[in-house]
Amino acid sequence: MKIYVSGLYAGGNPQPGVGIVRSLRQGYPNATIVGVEYSNRVSGIHFGKLDELWIQRPWSELDLDAYGEKVREALDAGGLWISGSDLEAMWLASVFPDGHPNLLAPPMSGIKRITKPVVEAASGLPIKIPTYLSTEHSDWDLHAFCREHNWRVWLKGPYYDASRTPTWDTFTAVRNALSKVWSTEKLFLQAHVSGYEESVMLSAFRGELLGAVSMRKRDITTEGKTWAGDVSEVPASFMEPLRQMVRDTNWTGGGELEMVRDASDQLWLIEMNPRFPAWVHGATIAGHNLPALLVQAATRVAAQPVPAVASEFTRIVLEVPVRPDYPLPPLPEPFAGAVGHSMKHPSGLTSLAARLHEIDPHMLDVALAPDAAAPPSGVAELPDTFVADIAAQDFDAMQTPQYIYMDTTATSLFKRAADRAHSLSTNGVEVISGYSIKTNPDKRLIKLALDNGFYAEAISLGEVQSALEVGFRPDQVILNGPGKWWPEGLMPRETMHAVFCDSIADLDRVVAAVAAGDMSAKHIGVRIRTPNITSRFGIPLDSPTTFAKLIAAVKRLPNDSAFGVHFHMASSHVGVAQWWHLFESMLRWCQSIEKLSGRTIEMLDMGGGWYPDDWHEDQISKIARAAERVRTMLLGVRQIASEPGKAMAQPSMALAMRILEIQEHEDDYIEAVVDASIAEIPMHFWQPHRMVRQCAETGELQPIGRGKTHLMGRLCMEHDIIASNVQLPEGTRAGDLLIFCDAGGYDRSMSYVFGRG
Amino acid sequence: MYLAADKTKPEGAQLEDAHCGDDVDLAAPTTAPGGKWQTFPNSHISHHGAACCDIAHQWLIAFDYAQLNGGDVLTGPRWMREQSAWGPTAWPIHWCEAVGAKTVDCGVHAAIAHEAFVARGVRAFRAQFIQRYSADATASWRQNWGKESVSDHWIDGEAIYHEGNAILIGDDEVKLWDGSAGWWINPRGDAGYGSLAAVRIEAPDIDGFADGLLWGERRIMLNQWVAM
Ligand SMILES: [Zn+2]
Ligand SMILES: [Zn+2]
Repeated sequence: MKIYVSGLYAGGNPQPGVGIVRSLRQGYPNATIVGVEYSNRVSGIHFGKLDELWIQRPWSELDLDAYGEKVREALDAGGLWISGSDLEAMWLASVFPDGHPNLLAPPMSGIKRITKPVVEAASGLPIKIPTYLSTEHSDWDLHAFCREHNWRVWLKGPYYDASRTPTWDTFTAVRNALSKVWSTEKLFLQAHVSGYEESVMLSAFRGELLGAVSMRKRDITTEGKTWAGDVSEVPASFMEPLRQMVRDTNWTGGGELEMVRDASDQLWLIEMNPRFPAWVHGATIAGHNLPALLVQAATRVAAQPVPAVASEFTRIVLEVPVRPDYPLPPLPEPFAGAVGHSMKHPSGLTSLAARLHEIDPHMLDVALAPDAAAPPSGVAELPDTFVADIAAQDFDAMQTPQYIYMDTTATSLFKRAADRAHSLSTNGVEVISGYSIKTNPDKRLIKLALDNGFYAEAISLGEVQSALEVGFRPDQVILNGPGKWWPEGLMPRETMHAVFCDSIADLDRVVAAVAAGDMSAKHIGVRIRTPNITSRFGIPLDSPTTFAKLIAAVKRLPNDSAFGVHFHMASSHVGVAQWWHLFESMLRWCQSIEKLSGRTIEMLDMGGGWYPDDWHEDQISKIARAAERVRTMLLGVRQIASEPGKAMAQPSMALAMRILEIQEHEDDYIEAVVDASIAEIPMHFWQPHRMVRQCAETGELQPIGRGKTHLMGRLCMEHDIIASNVQLPEGTRAGDLLIFCDAGGYDRSMSYVFGRG
Repeated sequence: MYLAADKTKPEGAQLEDAHCGDDVDLAAPTTAPGGKWQTFPNSHISHHGAACCDIAHQWLIAFDYAQLNGGDVLTGPRWMREQSAWGPTAWPIHWCEAVGAKTVDCGVHAAIAHEAFVARGVRAFRAQFIQRYSADATASWRQNWGKESVSDHWIDGEAIYHEGNAILIGDDEVKLWDGSAGWWINPRGDAGYGSLAAVRIEAPDIDGFADGLLWGERRIMLNQWVAM
């Protein structure tokens, strides 16, 4: 009996080959086991229990047709083949679409049914699939997905590789890298599931389940791979649908379902692999020799039974002698002046991915839900008011770069917010909006806020003055932040609407100023800092001692002003779901503060930081829900304020720019230099912008999708790249006009003067 | 792991005013599953009856909820172990001393975790454990507790008495939280170093749980020591 076993990589993220060999050796002490590898750098080839080696050239060099023939000859000659690599299994399935009697690997039809993220074959199992979104969607939608899932998301390729992408710039960088490595644009974002990882390994032959075993990770490597685990029987509720799955897919060979068990005991499927897992021998130690079962089914030669030695296994690191006929290859020298050795995967698996992509462009596709609608266009639609506001501009006379005020957009957004606040107010509790002047101090926006019944939320006396100049009365001003005393001498003498103290020191200064008659406000309160969000603002709550100080300070506040609490968690950063948790958490802190200080909270300011879409979509219900929670938890609250600054300002301006030059490079890579820069669009790293080109001939607005063009800013700064991987419409040339929407928030207010002479 | 004097303790509580092991009856038969801790009560944190303890208690509840980060309420309060390392605690201890202390023993961890679980709306019970270690391990602990002049009555040969929590996760199923370790105890029932020899889940109200609670594949009767 001759058995070929591949996938002998035995580093920190090992392949299963060595474990398969150890298990087969126990089941078939006399079999000839041939180790198959594609690099002499793979340490598993030196494993002593191999009888022979079949070392091929790396995948990047192999003539796949000729190699396919060699494999066929080996199988025809009676050799069995157990693949320890996903990509090799896929390639073998492409060579033998209907299998080969001696190829102990799944058929192509089966492999296609386990493609991520859907893993359609597993749909009968008692497991859920974490929410996902294909990267074919527009950047606008992808950003929304990340916010919705609190930025606890993974960017994954269809077979290998997953990266956490906690910020937008990480996401764009990783998307770029993964697409290159795996030769596909079709990646997907998937929500993280928190919990304990466990797996089910199976062994099957021609649609018959031979055995399965469950393993919980009990120790993991820094990459999250198994280092130790415990092994147990698969429960019947899982076993029966698993048997059905094996039958439906006509599975042959090993397989592994990688899952996470969450705190409420729900299993989530992360992926299914078309091969035995690297911990395969851990199960053999526990008495479940699945590779031997597979060979037994294929050959009808009974395997030697193995006793269960322990139900738990762990790994150790061992030095083994190097085979004299395969001496170690030299280690590549570090690149000149670089740090460390740059090592690619030794057997060239990434180039196998590229070649599989050539053989069958769809083989590495991600699998999306069968009921998914038509493929996404990849381009975000512009709202009608955007189109109208852009159409109203006289671009011919416009010097660029230039911010465009989106008149009808801004007007409708403020009106909607005003209507909403009005409709949510009741006799007992008034809902108000405050416009954070810092998000965009443009007088037109401040005026719109005034006209729509907003309060003015200021973080400096300079901002207070701007509000007063536009027409706000002092009793329509909310003063916040650590800079509320700057610049000196501008503190209004009239009564303001609310003042929130940012620290204990600030609070004591406010108390003294009020006592001296230098300051007056209808509401005086505190801003509190959420314990588990990194922030430098507000009074911390992170220990019982700081909390006690806060309680003592609240007791010092003047009793003739009403008491209020302000908190701020930017939903655009913490995510929408997490925002709701924090909100609930904040209300609990407020209850504690009321109870311990004896002061009743009459005004609650829940801050801003809402991403425009998260604020405006589903507009009534969200704030209504928040207001309802406040009403039930804080009975004394008479006024609830929110500060949708970014939600108002961001859509209200766009940035117009012109192309200065287009540079074409190799492989369709294009660099277009524009007259704008990161000085005008500084939020480029944190959020996508919907972009259009205005056609020079027709004046039509053409959306800009994804491609291989990079928009370079005009500055002589290396990181002045304002958009990567975009596709300029056909015919774009120097002098053409581009418009970046969604630039009216911090893009505008934090823009800086640079490189203008 | 230890009992403390507490004026606010409910009527009828046994071992009133016992602390540091002095007055605790440790003469229970060692053949019982609870060993010398057969009748040992769960640790109880005292209240000064003043604002200091009110503030600490409110802070604990609000901070625990904040630390959930939007995660499941059945998630263990891992933050407590980050806030307070495991080590000797001198009993009695009050809320204002226990919450936020740099080092506390498992009795404090279990008592504050219980408050947090209950405040989250989770059905929780106090749990007592007897664990097997080694002579070397217990000697080392004896030494550390001795250095702080704190009673080491929780050590008996190679066994230790330890406290944690039982959390209801299904109709009658629990998982056992070891707050001092920051993990859920494995219900596989292993023997050896660190394994669980016996457990007692305390439930003042056993309504609906007359058949005990399911932990892994084992059923645990309430309010009694059950050998593993
Ligand atoms: Zn106290
Ligand atoms: Zn303990």
